[in-house]
Amino acid sequence: MLAVFPTFAGAPTLAAGAIPPVLVLAMCVVAGVGTVLVLPGRHERSVRKIGGGALLCVFLIFAALLIRQGAMKGAGQVYFWLFAAIAILSAVRVISHDKPVYSALYFLLTVVATAGLFVLLWAEFMAAALVLIYAGAIVATYVFVIMLAQQTGNAGRATEGGDYDRISREPIAACAVGFTLMGLILFVIFDMVSFVGPTKLAKGGEAQGTAQRLGEHLFTSQVVSLEMAAVILAMAVVGAVVIAGRKVAEPAPAREATGDVRDVDPKQVPVYGTDERRTKAYPEK
Amino acid sequence: MAMSEAVLRQYLAVGAILFAIGLIGFMTRRNLIVLFLSTEVMFQGVAVNFIAFGRYHGSLEGQAFVIFLLVIAAAEAALALGLIVQLFRRRHTLDAESWRELKG
Repeated sequence: MLAVFPTFAGAPTLAAGAIPPVLVLAMCVVAGVGTVLVLPGRHERSVRKIGGGALLCVFLIFAALLIRQGAMKGAGQVYFWLFAAIAILSAVRVISHDKPVYSALYFLLTVVATAGLFVLLWAEFMAAALVLIYAGAIVATYVFVIMLAQQTGNAGRATEGGDYDRISREPIAACAVGFTLMGLILFVIFDMVSFVGPTKLAKGGEAQGTAQRLGEHLFTSQVVSLEMAAVILAMAVVGAVVIAGRKVAEPAPAREATGDVRDVDPKQVPVYGTDERRTKAYPEK
Repeated sequence: MAMSEAVLRQYLAVGAILFAIGLIGFMTRRNLIVLFLSTEVMFQGVAVNFIAFGRYHGSLEGQAFVIFLLVIAAAEAALALGLIVQLFRRRHTLDAESWRELKG
C-alpha cells in the first residue's frame, strides 16, 4: 500500500504519528463529495444532511486513526479533540449555511474553539487576544454589516435577487481544488516530513506563554514591527472611514429591482387581498 | 516539557483542514460577507500552525507572528466591510456575481 507513494527518503517505515497516504487520499475524496453535497445548492435538504453525515464520519475516522497511532497521552488530548472537532465542524457550517448571520455566529464558535487550542499550546495571551479581537470586534462588525444589508436587501427571501445565498458557484471544481490542496498538505504532514527537532527550551521556557515574557519579546526584538503594525492599523481605520463614508449616486434600475414604493403611483396599488385598485381610497376630483 | 512530534502533527492537521475549508468557502459562496468570513477561517488555520510551531520549538516567535496576523486581519476586515457597504449601496445586492463585468 505504501509503495504507491514512495517517500523522499525511501524509508519503508512510517514516522511516529504517520498515516498511510492512500488512506489520507481516500478520506479527502469522501470529504470532498460530502462537502459538495453539504454546500448550498439546488438539491434537497435531506441530501445536504447526508453530505454532513459523510463529513462527520470522515472526521471521526481520521480522529480514530490518530488516536490509534498512540499519539495521545494525558488528559490534555481530550480537550484537543473537543476543541478541534468544534472548530472544524463549525467551520464547515460557516461555509455551508444559507443565512450569513448564522455563518457569522458559527465563525464565532470557530474562534472560541481556536482560542481553546491556543490555551492548550500555552499561548494564553493569544487566546485572550483572539477572543477579544475576533469575537469582540471583528464578528460584531460583520454582524452589523449583515444587518445593514439585510434590512433593505432581499437576501433572506427566495426571490430572484435573493437566492445567491442558496446556490453555490462551481461547488464541484472548488471542492476538488480545496481537497487536493488539503490532501497534499496532510500527506506532507503525516508522511514525508521529519521536523527539525524541538530546540531546547529557552530559560523559563516552561512559562513561555505568559503575557510578561511575550511582552518582553515583542518590545525588545520586535519593536519596529510592532510600531509598523500600529501604523498599518491606523491607516486601515482611516481608509475604512473614508471609503465607507462616501456618498454614491443611487442607480435607477436598482431601485425598481428592490421594489421601492416611493416611485409607485398609489392609485395603481391593489387593495390588500384583492385585485381591486385603490381608486376608492383616492377619489378623483 | 517538550512537545512530541506526533502532537505537533495533529495541530498542523487541524490548521490545514481549517485552511482548506476556508478556501473552499471563498471559492463557492456568492455572498460578499460570507466570502470574507471564509478568509477569516483561513486566518484561523494559519494562526494554529504558527502557535503550534512556536510551542514545538519553545520560542515566542510564533506568538509574535500571530499578533501581527491579528493586526492584518483586523485591518482587512475594516477595509473589506467598508468596501462591501459601498458595493451594496451601488447594486442593492451582496451577490458577488453582480460584479461579473470586473473580470479582465
